[in-house]
Amino acid sequence: MGVAELSDTALVAQVAVFHNKRAFDQLVRKYQSPVRRFFLNQTLGDEQLSDDLAQETFIKAYLSITKFRGLSSFSTWLMRIAYNVFYDHIRGEKKEVRGERIDQQHNIPLTSHLSPLTSTLKMDIYQALALLKDEERSCITLQLIDGYPIDQISRITGIGENTVKSHLRRGKEKMANYLKSNGYDR
Amino acid sequence: MTDNDNILIERLFEEASRQQIADDGFTKRVMAALPDNSAAKVRRLSRLWTWFCILVGLALFFLLDGWAVLKATLLAIFNTVLTSLSVLLTTAPTADLRLDPAVLLVLLVFVLVVLPYQTARRLSTSL
Repeated sequence: MGVAELSDTALVAQVAVFHNKRAFDQLVRKYQSPVRRFFLNQTLGDEQLSDDLAQETFIKAYLSITKFRGLSSFSTWLMRIAYNVFYDHIRGEKKEVRGERIDQQHNIPLTSHLSPLTSTLKMDIYQALALLKDEERSCITLQLIDGYPIDQISRITGIGENTVKSHLRRGKEKMANYLKSNGYDR
Repeated sequence: MTDNDNILIERLFEEASRQQIADDGFTKRVMAALPDNSAAKVRRLSRLWTWFCILVGLALFFLLDGWAVLKATLLAIFNTVLTSLSVLLTTAPTADLRLDPAVLLVLLVFVLVVLPYQTARRLSTSL
């Protein structure tokens, strides 16, 4: 059986026991798209920052792969690392600007690093996501873009299921109001 | 939140949820940035070498009739100690030996606490 045919668990075992870098290469190739997409949505389209954070996520996953116990799927475990990497980054940013009063919802550049290929629709999504608090944005994108159910969002974020539901409800309300005020309901 | 609001939001995110990001050399960059785990490799090899030596030692012990050698050595030590004691008893001074309780206490602490502690420390660092 080739490495390409192995399941996630088998690939993780190969990396953990034999330090098989080819197996880890397969895992990165398989999950780079959802991880980078997650960061793109959290950073509102900052491609450079997203790639840096995604790289940090995979390095952390590689270094702590022996801690993966298989209680959840590998993708959930990886997204939990990604979520922690993002919030470490946010905390680091907040420390840097401590003392200056900033508006949390607008401290991420909305369009400065967007590729020219970014569609108008994507711009609208980022504009709508910019209205949300960080945790609301994470819950919304994990559900609506990455397709995770509430219990998995709770595992990834470490937030209780009821709080996840509240974040989703509040986030959706804010976005619905924004979309309606921009003529999306016509 | 109405059903229409939900439909509105889901429609907006429908395209985004289908978006696949092309690798464009990302995996290559990650693999190049992975830290070198040579230190872990050296530790693993060192542990394997220790186990290999232990197994070889045990094999040689049984193959070369190690029990007989061990028994002879222990008997020789026992006999030497016994002889030394008998010599000491026959040649010991008849005067009373006075031992200071403080010195005795220090000796006891050294034998019961310091020596076992040092031995355990040395063993744990060498393994």
